[in-house]
Amino acid sequence: MTSPGMVDVTTKGPSMRRNFWRGVWRVMLRKPSRLFGVALLGLFIFMATLGPVLYGRPLPRDPDNFFAPPSLQHPFGTDFQGFDVLALVVIGSRYVLLTALITAIVTIVLGASIGLFAGYRRGRLDAVLMRITDINLTIPGIPILLVLSTVWQFASPWEMGLVLGLLGWGALARAVRSQTLSLRERGFIEAARGLGLSTPHIVVRELLPPIAPYIAMNLLMSMILAVWAQVGLFFLGVMPVIGENWGVMLNRAVFDFGAMTTASRLPYMLAPLLALLLLTVAIVLVVDAMDEIFNPRLREE
Amino acid sequence: MKVTRITATLAAFALALTACGGDDGDDAPGADDNGNGAAEEGDEPEVQRGGAYTTIITGLHATAPPNPYNPDGNSFAGYNSVRLAWVKNHPTSPTEFYPGLASEWEVTDDNLELTVTLHPDATWSDGTPVTADDVVVSSNIAYTRGSGAFILDPGAAGAASDIEVIDDKTVQFTQDPENPTREFVNGIMNMIIVPAHIYGDLLPDDFDELLQAARGEDDAADDAREAISEAGEDVVSFAPEEDISAGPYVLERINPSEALLVRNEHFHNDHLVAPDQVIARNYDGNEQVWDYLQAGELDSSHFVAVPEDVVQQIEARPGNEASRTYSPVVAGLAFNQTYEPFDDINVRRALAYIIDREQMVAVSTPDGGTAATTTSGIHQEVVGEWIGDTVGDLDPYAVDLDRAAEELEAAGLSEENGRWVLPDGDPFSVPIQVPGGFSDWIAAGENIATQLNEFGIDSEIRTSPDFTVYQEEMTNGEYPVGFWLIGLGPSPYNIYQRLYGSSNGWEVLAGRLSYNEPGESGNWKGGPETYDVEGHGEVNPGELAHELRTADEERTHEIMTILAQTTNEHLPVIQMWDYVNTQFSNTDRFITDPPDDARRVTGVTSLAGIWIQQGWVTAVN
Repeated sequence: MTSPGMVDVTTKGPSMRRNFWRGVWRVMLRKPSRLFGVALLGLFIFMATLGPVLYGRPLPRDPDNFFAPPSLQHPFGTDFQGFDVLALVVIGSRYVLLTALITAIVTIVLGASIGLFAGYRRGRLDAVLMRITDINLTIPGIPILLVLSTVWQFASPWEMGLVLGLLGWGALARAVRSQTLSLRERGFIEAARGLGLSTPHIVVRELLPPIAPYIAMNLLMSMILAVWAQVGLFFLGVMPVIGENWGVMLNRAVFDFGAMTTASRLPYMLAPLLALLLLTVAIVLVVDAMDEIFNPRLREE
Repeated sequence: MKVTRITATLAAFALALTACGGDDGDDAPGADDNGNGAAEEGDEPEVQRGGAYTTIITGLHATAPPNPYNPDGNSFAGYNSVRLAWVKNHPTSPTEFYPGLASEWEVTDDNLELTVTLHPDATWSDGTPVTADDVVVSSNIAYTRGSGAFILDPGAAGAASDIEVIDDKTVQFTQDPENPTREFVNGIMNMIIVPAHIYGDLLPDDFDELLQAARGEDDAADDAREAISEAGEDVVSFAPEEDISAGPYVLERINPSEALLVRNEHFHNDHLVAPDQVIARNYDGNEQVWDYLQAGELDSSHFVAVPEDVVQQIEARPGNEASRTYSPVVAGLAFNQTYEPFDDINVRRALAYIIDREQMVAVSTPDGGTAATTTSGIHQEVVGEWIGDTVGDLDPYAVDLDRAAEELEAAGLSEENGRWVLPDGDPFSVPIQVPGGFSDWIAAGENIATQLNEFGIDSEIRTSPDFTVYQEEMTNGEYPVGFWLIGLGPSPYNIYQRLYGSSNGWEVLAGRLSYNEPGESGNWKGGPETYDVEGHGEVNPGELAHELRTADEERTHEIMTILAQTTNEHLPVIQMWDYVNTQFSNTDRFITDPPDDARRVTGVTSLAGIWIQQGWVTAVN
């Protein structure tokens, strides 16, 4: 039993959630392309999680049919060993997406926490953290990766994701700090300080929620950057060109098998490119939807 | 590969190791053979002249000096850098050359003395005659670099022990009579010749005394060797103010994209030189060369890896022609036998029966190699020349998966759920190491890994950042399995020293052969010192390979037969493919028509300069 003056959280919580999801659905329906983006992103997540399960090891191949043209059996033809290119795209998506996710998480965790603490605490801690951020922003990523590639094969997405994340959190930290500087002067933060709440409590419970949508969108945008960064590095041959991912496919197609000059090798190059394009489009469309969901001013009533 | 890099590597190997030659009558137009490999001057007609000849070069460093000893130097063999002669890679004969600065050379029957006569008209581009003094200074510089026959190690087999100036144009070289070898002549003839009036001051005034002292075995010898080595550093870093060439061209200007070389009118065979200029375009990747070739922009291109259908597109361009010749190099998959279970011959044989070499070559290098028909250690183009009909007795190791399973079971491995496991229950894993950038090796390694995985053996490729690291780490014993070049013909010793030389424990010190235990002093292959070979009993392959340096013809064939059988039975490597030298030329502006053995001259970055100076390039009207 609850008193009439108290908020009935047991009934209001689900109601709020229902309203939220109804709003989300409305935002989605307003531009059906957003639904397409969500579906596409879901497809890539499905590929990355269940693709390697669906295609058993060793992958089936036709050793007498190198660079077969596209057909019903092989929608993107076969590669230089007779493997189905579509299967390679599906298998290769795990590395790409997992790396992107790890990169994004490392970026978000480091960037957001450093930005929040620096912005809220100001003073000496702010100065120290921002100098570290400045150093991070000036680190030449590609030369470092070149050096690291002599030690690591980057065969694991964890290695690649960690390195990209550690190299890429600086900009987010700066942006979050700016937002925090604005928020910390608001009344509810002053009230929290007046109540004597601890810094971690204020940062995590008071400052983080209003910034969370911005961080969530950055997470997705970080994923796009990470996808292109890792694929670009493999494509350019900066990383050891081995393993299963789209960048390796692109590198081999262009630099070893003449995809730019030979029509029969073109599908081998276009398939991972198309996957990259679609993944980027999917993330952009989802970010577009999230932007409107979390930013009331953008909602069209 | 970037085959660029492997070509350079092969060239370096061949330069360092090959004792070459062999005259098969393919000489310059109008040049007759005088019986010792040199060409005599006749009434050579002038070639049709004019125009700029465009070819390719790699590793162009616009700021590097035109110093042939500088690793980045803008000094291009055959164009503005010369040697006494250019080594023919005749498949089986080790003493044949095309003339460079030398017009004649004579070797005594016992192979101890070589007398070289310079071309009477040989002149540097500044008008100074090329003399015996230039050869002596170049020889001394070669000692500072420890190259060819110029090795300071006392008693090192084949080292030149004396240089005597006979007259202004004649020099006599003598090799150490204690350890005469067949590589001696090649080491001399392959020497880079530089002008004494430019490079002479880089050497200490007392160089002759230092050289004598360095041949001792006391502390003074160590000091002398160190002083000579330090002089070598000065030579490498030297930056001459201008390019002084005794070749057909002089470097005019250079940028990161291309080098322009212009005719050296002082060149002694200038009447055979057709192009007024040579443009050497830089390339970093093979696809750049494909683009040039497809556009008909190159007058010639040395070997780069080209996919089969790109070859067809290049050949479809009017004027383009492809040539395919023997390349005295073989690719092998080598084992470090200090790693289990690769020490087990049954395991190595099993792998040989699993790997479909035809498929691997079709995947990795269809136009640059042919699948090895078996493992003999010798390029299949010449295996019959060396071991005759006994080649038919060798196991071809054709694909036989049942036999492979039997061999693995004999080694104690077993199959569980379709995957092969070691006796202790761990999965049998075959990591295949390849150097980054070697696209054909990477593709071949991928295909081998694919085939092994399909058979039930866990396999994957691992890459090293570059070939230098690859070689170093391989020598340090860090790779269980990796690619290794073998069969570096035509010298019989060079063919087998890659298998039974220092990498497998046998080392020549002070002229004597010694054996290092596996894991010591560069013995990374780790095979046994002796093998039990069917029909031959106990065989020490390192001793036999060493004997090839001095053996007569009959004994050479006998040794080659034993070593081929030993290699076939015990598989220190699995022979994968025999290289094919595929080159392109275009007939729109020039006719480039060298004989086959001139297409496989090794030790130079680009061959067209040698062809041009011999008169095998003619401008089209």
